[in-house]
Amino acid sequence: MASKNGFKPAKGRRAVVVGGVRTPFCKAFTELTELDTIALGSAAVAGLLKQLELPARELDAVVWGGVVLPPLSVNIGREIVLELKLPAAVEAMTVTRACASGLQAITTAAAAIERGDADVVIAGGSDSTSNAPIAFPPKVVQKLGPLVLGGKGTPADYFGALAQLMPLADILPRVPKIAERTTGEVMGEAAERMAKRNEISRAAQDEFAARSHHRAARAIASGRFDREVSKVEAPGGWVHADNLVRADTSMEKLAKLKPVFAPDGTITAGSASPLTDGAAATLLMSEEKARALGLTPLAALRSWSYVGVDPADQLLIGPALCMPEALDKAGMKLADIDFVDLHEAFAAQVLSVIKALASPAFARERLGRSEAVGEIDVARLNVHGGSIAIGHPFAATGARMVTTMANELALSGKSTALLGICAAGGLGAAAVMERV
Amino acid sequence: MTDMLLSLGQNRVARNLVARAKLPIPLPQRLDRIEGGSVERPLEGKTVLVAGAGALGEPLARTLARAGAEPWLRSEAQLAAFAGPGEAYARPSKLIGAEPEAGQTVNAIVVDATGFELHADLKLLWQIYNPWLKALAQNGRSLILARPPESARRADQAAVRAALDGFNRSLAKEIGGKGATANLVYVDDGAEERLSAVVRFLLSKPSAFITAQPVRVSAQARWDGEDPWTQPLARKVALVTGAGRGIGEATARVLAAEGAHVVCLDRPEDDAALSLVARDVGGSLLLCDVAAEDAPAKIAAYLTEKHGGVDIVVHNAGVTRDRTLARMSERLWDQVLEINLGAILSITSRLLQGPLRDGGRIVSLSSIGGIAGNTGQTNYAASKAGLIGMTRKLASDLAPRAITVNAVAPGFIETRMTAAVPAVVREVGRRLSALGQGGQPEDVARAIAFLSSPGSAGVTGGVLRVCGGAFLGA
Repeated sequence: MASKNGFKPAKGRRAVVVGGVRTPFCKAFTELTELDTIALGSAAVAGLLKQLELPARELDAVVWGGVVLPPLSVNIGREIVLELKLPAAVEAMTVTRACASGLQAITTAAAAIERGDADVVIAGGSDSTSNAPIAFPPKVVQKLGPLVLGGKGTPADYFGALAQLMPLADILPRVPKIAERTTGEVMGEAAERMAKRNEISRAAQDEFAARSHHRAARAIASGRFDREVSKVEAPGGWVHADNLVRADTSMEKLAKLKPVFAPDGTITAGSASPLTDGAAATLLMSEEKARALGLTPLAALRSWSYVGVDPADQLLIGPALCMPEALDKAGMKLADIDFVDLHEAFAAQVLSVIKALASPAFARERLGRSEAVGEIDVARLNVHGGSIAIGHPFAATGARMVTTMANELALSGKSTALLGICAAGGLGAAAVMERV
Repeated sequence: MTDMLLSLGQNRVARNLVARAKLPIPLPQRLDRIEGGSVERPLEGKTVLVAGAGALGEPLARTLARAGAEPWLRSEAQLAAFAGPGEAYARPSKLIGAEPEAGQTVNAIVVDATGFELHADLKLLWQIYNPWLKALAQNGRSLILARPPESARRADQAAVRAALDGFNRSLAKEIGGKGATANLVYVDDGAEERLSAVVRFLLSKPSAFITAQPVRVSAQARWDGEDPWTQPLARKVALVTGAGRGIGEATARVLAAEGAHVVCLDRPEDDAALSLVARDVGGSLLLCDVAAEDAPAKIAAYLTEKHGGVDIVVHNAGVTRDRTLARMSERLWDQVLEINLGAILSITSRLLQGPLRDGGRIVSLSSIGGIAGNTGQTNYAASKAGLIGMTRKLASDLAPRAITVNAVAPGFIETRMTAAVPAVVREVGRRLSALGQGGQPEDVARAIAFLSSPGSAGVTGGVLRVCGGAFLGA
């Protein structure tokens, strides 16, 4: 995917984003708990089709992102198609690239359209932390699995197998933990190390987090998100709005929170993205098809870039490497960009990335270029808040960002947006969007 | 052969007992070694105290930051050089006090002594090491960087530069007990950019058994600036003679781990052992007696036909036929001189006529015996000292072709050969060294891999001792 060559549309075809819809983003184990990732995805896709009044028969494919996938129905993209009773001919796949899964789904769809493989594709992602499978350790599965799945065990066999499963600590179900497999480090610990190494202060993080909430709250209050958020029916009733954004937070309030990942640390629950349930879907088409259907193209993806860095070094610094690469592919400079939208895994991570991009030494040593990539003015950064305030259903975030930026370009009349997303495993993702 | 004291030293109770009873038993510290090939950040999380403000601040700062070290600086004058790299790699440096705080440990002390001019400047060594040595961690490192005495313009300058050598050798002996090493790098004017690989090597685990050494870094050999930090030998073809066992086998394994395709050469009668090594390292097998008359032609033809040439040549095959000179037969004399010197000279000469590519590396196995001499080893010492002569001459001849030529002189290494030595002699061999223990074949192999790497272009014409700071033949 990470083509080192510049972007060359096949035969002049261009994929355009014509719209995007997401569910409300809700704190895990709150209003959306009873909807699993497929139900959430279906809600977002249904909302999108309804809003754009797109006849389902026009749809060629669904590309869906997921991070915490249900073990028995991994291709959630296809499950969404079937659950919504879309035409069986709408083929579907599921992609996973940790927190960049949503953007991955969108760039996969754009590439397919530009290659001429499809005309109309829904791309997005969903995650329900509330429904994360609680895994039994391999030891339990290996002992009991043959009896359960084989169906031939006698009670004596079960007791025999159980007897081998001591000590108890070995067989308790494991709480799913967002830890790196290779380093064993929880993401917050990695971010904590980044904060220390990049000398990001607690105050700077709290200030950033407060701004994220205030901007998101303003967007909600002003109705800016109305066309992006579609209500969802849950068993407990209709869910209309995001429930994580706090209009009334402040640096003073955030300053009172205790660090979560290290006793002497700087990252708190207030400056980290929370565990969230939600889904987001975007509709992509070839430009001609959009015009033929009478839909207004909002934006196109001018370039994108994915990179990997060593998780043991700075786990979440990837965007500082792939954002310049995406700019290069787009033939642009950071100064040409009107909006920058960065996924806020942690305020410390965003501020580390921004610091690296502004550093001439970083440019020289890490990017092999003589000048810094550039400063990012807060006026054009995450103009409607980000994952800290709105929440972060892992695979939905990329599609939320693309939707918000596509609308922002169309509404503001400005021309370009740069997206950056960090992801587990030391991955980084970036894209340059332009108004159509 | 297990080293009993080394094993005992691992036992905390035994260590405490020996210390409390003030028993005169030196318990050596187990050395930290790496598995596999070079890593992206060889100094990850290591604290490195950098003192002295000379010409090397910037290259040093860049290397340390990228290697993952946390630089501790002694003076504000150093901050400027470290600021940029610290920001690029998120390794901010910090200013530390004249003395360590309670419980503070430092993994390495690096002194940039290139600014030393007068004998009074040497006082900085005392000022740094006197308070900080107690904070030096087990398996720590000391590295002093200076200009070579030979290029001094005045006698006092030359004196200061040479003084560092004596200081370093003594320091090595004082810190060897904790498995720490001390080395000195003499950097020529204009060779600053070639320092990085040397600094990385001497500060990291692969140099565990190298201590008390001066290493010269020069701009003699042509160099295109290539210095890959990982897989440095990728796409290189390496010939290792005597690869069937011991140091040769370890060399084949380490060169392969660093990415090289290794042509494993040994005598036809060692087919079985050699095949295993060649298969393990994914290399190829060349059965050949290096002393045979047709060996040079055969080796050259093989390398040219199968691999289109060779980049790295490791002359490791060698024999000992010890006898005091008066009792030595002509056959024993001839055997050693033919295998250890004659064969190497003719193979090298033949490889230089075509197969050895520009940018290549030649490493010969010399010996501490070749430097110090040994009763019963007139033949062996002559051959091994001869290699040093060859190394020096070829280094200057081949510099324009970007080829470096070096010798490695192992001290007491735990091999089949040393296991056969009488126990008392073996014990003496192990203990009479700064680190108080024998080295592993792999330690020599790591040094050879370093000298084979593109980044080691600054080191040529030298003899690198891998001896644990052996008291012999200094």
